[in-house]
Amino acid sequence: MSVLVVAEHLRGKLRDVTRELVTAAGELPGPVAVAVIAKDPAAFDVRLAGVDEIVHVAVDCEEFESDVYRAALEALIRERRPGVTLLGFTVNSMGYAPAVAAKLGLGFASDVHGLAQSGDAVVATRSFYGAKVQAEVDFPGREQVVLLLRPTVWPQAENGGGASTTSLPVPAGASRARHRSFEEQPPGDVDITTADFLLSVGRGVEDKDSLPELAALAEKMGAVLSVSRPLVDAGWMPSARQVGQSGKTVKPKVYLALGISGAVQHLAGMKTSGTIIAVNTDPEAAIFGTAHYGAVADLFDVAEELDKLY
Amino acid sequence: MTETRQTFAQLTHWEIAFWYGLIVVSTTIFLAGAVRLVVKYRRGRPEGLDRIGPRLARAARIVLSHSWIRRRDPVAAAGHLLIFYGFLVLFLGSGVLALEDDVTKPLFHFQFWRNGFYLGYSLFLDVFGLGLAVGLAVMAVKRGLLRPTRLDYRRPDRSENRARYVLGDWAFLGILFFLALTGFLLEAFRIAEHDPSFEVWSPLGWSVAQAFRAAGMTGQEAASAHFVQWWVHGAVALGFVSSIPYTKAVHMLAGPANVAVRDDRAGKRLPLLPPNPKPEEVGYGRITDLTWRHLLSLDACTKCGKCHDACPARAGGYPLSPRDLILDLREVAEGAIGLRSVGGIAPLYDEQADLLGNPIAAETLWSCTQCMACVEICPVGIEHVPIINQLRRRLVDQGELDTMLQSTLEAVHNTGNSFGEPKRKRARWAKELPFEVKDARREPTEQLWFVGDYASFDPRNQRATKALARILHAADVDFGILFDAERTGGCDVRRVGEEGLWRSLAEENIETLGNCDFERIFSSDPHTFHTLRNEYPLLGGEWPVVHHSQLLLELIEAGRLELSRPLPYRVTYHDPCTLGRYNGVYEPPRRVLRALGLDLVDLPRNRDNSFCCGAGGGRIWMKEIAPAGSRRPSEQRIDEAVALGGVDYFVVACPKDVAMFEDAIKTSGRQGTIELRELSELVLEALDLPADAEPETETVEEET
Amino acid sequence: MKVVVCVKQVAALGDEVEFTADGRDVDPDFLEHALNEWDAYSTEAALRIREALGSGEVVAVTVGGGKTEAVLRRCLAMGADRGVRIESPAADPFAIARALASVVERERPELVLCGVQSSDSVQAATGAALAGLLDLPCVAVVTKVDVGGDGRGSAHRELEGGLLDVVDFDLPAVLTIQTGINEPRYATLRAIKQAEQQEIEVLSCPAGEPAYSVRRMFVPVRGEGAEMLSGSPAQIAARIAEIVNERLA
Repeated sequence: MSVLVVAEHLRGKLRDVTRELVTAAGELPGPVAVAVIAKDPAAFDVRLAGVDEIVHVAVDCEEFESDVYRAALEALIRERRPGVTLLGFTVNSMGYAPAVAAKLGLGFASDVHGLAQSGDAVVATRSFYGAKVQAEVDFPGREQVVLLLRPTVWPQAENGGGASTTSLPVPAGASRARHRSFEEQPPGDVDITTADFLLSVGRGVEDKDSLPELAALAEKMGAVLSVSRPLVDAGWMPSARQVGQSGKTVKPKVYLALGISGAVQHLAGMKTSGTIIAVNTDPEAAIFGTAHYGAVADLFDVAEELDKLY
Repeated sequence: MTETRQTFAQLTHWEIAFWYGLIVVSTTIFLAGAVRLVVKYRRGRPEGLDRIGPRLARAARIVLSHSWIRRRDPVAAAGHLLIFYGFLVLFLGSGVLALEDDVTKPLFHFQFWRNGFYLGYSLFLDVFGLGLAVGLAVMAVKRGLLRPTRLDYRRPDRSENRARYVLGDWAFLGILFFLALTGFLLEAFRIAEHDPSFEVWSPLGWSVAQAFRAAGMTGQEAASAHFVQWWVHGAVALGFVSSIPYTKAVHMLAGPANVAVRDDRAGKRLPLLPPNPKPEEVGYGRITDLTWRHLLSLDACTKCGKCHDACPARAGGYPLSPRDLILDLREVAEGAIGLRSVGGIAPLYDEQADLLGNPIAAETLWSCTQCMACVEICPVGIEHVPIINQLRRRLVDQGELDTMLQSTLEAVHNTGNSFGEPKRKRARWAKELPFEVKDARREPTEQLWFVGDYASFDPRNQRATKALARILHAADVDFGILFDAERTGGCDVRRVGEEGLWRSLAEENIETLGNCDFERIFSSDPHTFHTLRNEYPLLGGEWPVVHHSQLLLELIEAGRLELSRPLPYRVTYHDPCTLGRYNGVYEPPRRVLRALGLDLVDLPRNRDNSFCCGAGGGRIWMKEIAPAGSRRPSEQRIDEAVALGGVDYFVVACPKDVAMFEDAIKTSGRQGTIELRELSELVLEALDLPADAEPETETVEEET
Repeated sequence: MKVVVCVKQVAALGDEVEFTADGRDVDPDFLEHALNEWDAYSTEAALRIREALGSGEVVAVTVGGGKTEAVLRRCLAMGADRGVRIESPAADPFAIARALASVVERERPELVLCGVQSSDSVQAATGAALAGLLDLPCVAVVTKVDVGGDGRGSAHRELEGGLLDVVDFDLPAVLTIQTGINEPRYATLRAIKQAEQQEIEVLSCPAGEPAYSVRRMFVPVRGEGAEMLSGSPAQIAARIAEIVNERLA
């Protein structure tokens, strides 16, 4: 069985997820081919370690258009009959990969974060029920499978040579959903609800002048700074940064709470976060009842030490 | 000489006829106004009235004794008492004259207004007339010199010139004072004309008459002056009477009427929706949606401002003043269906127009914690809280609620609790106890503990819940809980205006309870206690319900709790709104605290005057809308406690109070100065149970 | 304009879980059900389109057993015109998409709205699968949409990092709607109860072959409750950094 990786690109650059897919493909038996669907496929260098073949699929659009990519993927799968087709679990893939898999009657699973073999068949691991449980899924009776892999789980493949290049022509077809332009979000508008990692500070900060150093730490750690209500009430931070019942509800992968006691109204805004780490000098702080990890310590001491690490 | 005087002494028949003509005109104007008011009230939604006789009797007692006016302001009460009785006596005094002149003399040839009766009458009227003047002076001083905040008509939600109101108030005082003054003057002139000696029984008039005579006034001059003064006084008096339905003076009619018709359970037992209601039947949207009683109550308002003063939302800087809400509604009623609309006098309102938005702002309605401080203190029995609730019902029905509130209500609908937690988690606290808690669904139990959301799910409150469980276990009380089957009682859901959701929760709870075998329900949550006790009967669920403070007191008094030693702390107790004002339970928690040996000192605003923590009415589920920098009601309350001096513990008996005040102690920087204790926690401490560690650090035997 | 909204009743777990005897799914006792969060947004989007155009029909469709009618009632209470339930044991996106396709084919709407994903499976595939089966264009992860009466529409797709992809599309089309596109209106209990009197059409459809099959379901190994970190601030910080890197991966 062969593995087909579909590269993803945006605005002329190859996206990192492509390299991750190649690494994942390496875990499966069989030759690995990487398909590049683009106006000028050659512009994207996918000569990575583990890639045996590169397939150029030239299409008529610069950026992603779902009908075009759908037709291209369908052609690739019909022509090459790969056992496993890998794409990233990304916004663009969501727009066409399931369509192809459903139409062709293939096996399918998305947001996959683990791969394994069971005899000839591939077994994928994914989460269910809001990530509270995981499951191994397989695809009995399906010769071909399409999987969308969760980004940043697999390491990125290094460059490597040795891949041959072929092309697959695809007849031009209708594109009923056409890319017109891109729009950037206005800068400076921080949406804490979309951050994967929030460093959140509360009353324990005590002094407005401590905020800049905590903001700097957040940036170093790759976190977005958010706050609990008292700091917004005090006028130290805008309400867009506020987590809680009267602020925003957030569900980041990691919520690091420094100096937040965990009032009911605050917990309501963040308790479904993936991992909650709380630092507070009060061993009875309510947040320890909801946090996954806790430390009874001075937040500034811990922040100082974290700063040294990043 | 017979002690009496000739009525209409100097008047010709034509003049007397003219006078009676004036009476007819003024009475007609008065009646027209009064009838038009009734027509206005009848434009409202119909509502039945029960027990009319007892209501009137009770209203008479309240009005005549001024018992509602007296509360929390004895000075204004004294002033008003003097004005009230002064006016009444003087008014009836004229009636007495008419009685003889127009009834007993012509019909029965009976004259009583002479001799002893006349002298007593004269003295009586003079004294009450003086009282009237003194009362008016008291009010003038209060209004003009002392300037209490509640008479400051400035609104928290908009800047507006209130000059019209102030003018109206002073005009009212002025006219009455003018009448008192001219009354005495005309009496003086009358006496000065012939100076009969028995008129000393009208001491004030007699003294002034003597002064006039001493100043050289002749009988002739006095007679002329008397004639003028008599007509002036008479015309103004008749003018005043005829104006009553059209001015501030209408409170003289509407006030007592409202006292008679008001619902004693206003706000405490909210009305059900009609079955299968159409959108226009849900809550209040237009002025004509108000019931006739509520329309009447709008006219009873005297702008005394007691509700404005008492309101915790206003004190916390929220855009709500109960007084202004009522006055706004009154403006609309008058301008849409009342006298102003008839006369085409601006500001006019369209009776079909939606109240919500203009002039009632949604934030005004959402600011309310439904604490009932306004209803409690209103001297004329206006029902601000149910009115706000009805306006909220319409907002909710139209889907106009803030996103926080919306998600909370959706969570309540989906999971049966306001935390959005899975049902299984409700009784998780019970698993951390060193004994098993009985499942009231499966076994008969004496006391069924309806725990409530905050007591079940909030970590800080779970400490108090576990403390109570341990106390009851130590006292060998047969109690059980409903575990996963419990749904939130719905008190605040109802007060937010989501009537359908409350009903659905209540019906579920009633069914669950109906399948259980128990003698009595108790709860440590006053909101749960309140709605189960007072509102579930509306849907057929009626059981005895008590609050845990009452249960604890019973146990202490029956000797079932071994209190090992008196607790050496100085504490103060905060009356929860739904336990205190709503249900009158003030003493049991205090008696429990005293039985523990604590030095209990009351907050300045206690019992029925307790100051709400700010969580009620669903506010704990809503976005913060007070302007930045304003001091929240809960923080103000902590200030009040700290100001008592030397208080170790701020004691509460409501789970929402626990959450609000723990937060307030932190945010106002009072950690270390004062600590919060829930009632059960102190009782537990006094029990000194063996191996008495804080419940959550105790090792737990889990059943897996 | 007719808009079909595909909605799902999703299941949520608390922090306790037990599995069924065959170990392939969670014991239903531990699940609580509600309307999929994304579907509230898509229903609201459909209602707003109807309001903007001044006319049209919004049909809410779901796949599942009798209990799933609760979510249709919610949509009807919000203002949808009709509700259709497809009785089917389908549990994976393709089986569900096949069931939905039968109704969409019959209804012939100009627009089909689905949520980007469901909160319980997070496959984010049903909408696109439906588009594939019916050969309709698919615009995925929409945060803004405008449709005119001219057979065309435009939408913003929210790409990673917040970048917006502006797309013009032809009708009929399938859109998957992202949260935050609007504020879903509140459905009062009264409206929900009145919706209970409305008839919901029930069709049936065999499930067919699933896209995947669960071999075993398990709880990933993780500490319960707040695992307290001890030591000096430096040690605590190091441990925190470790956890953060692990969890963000």
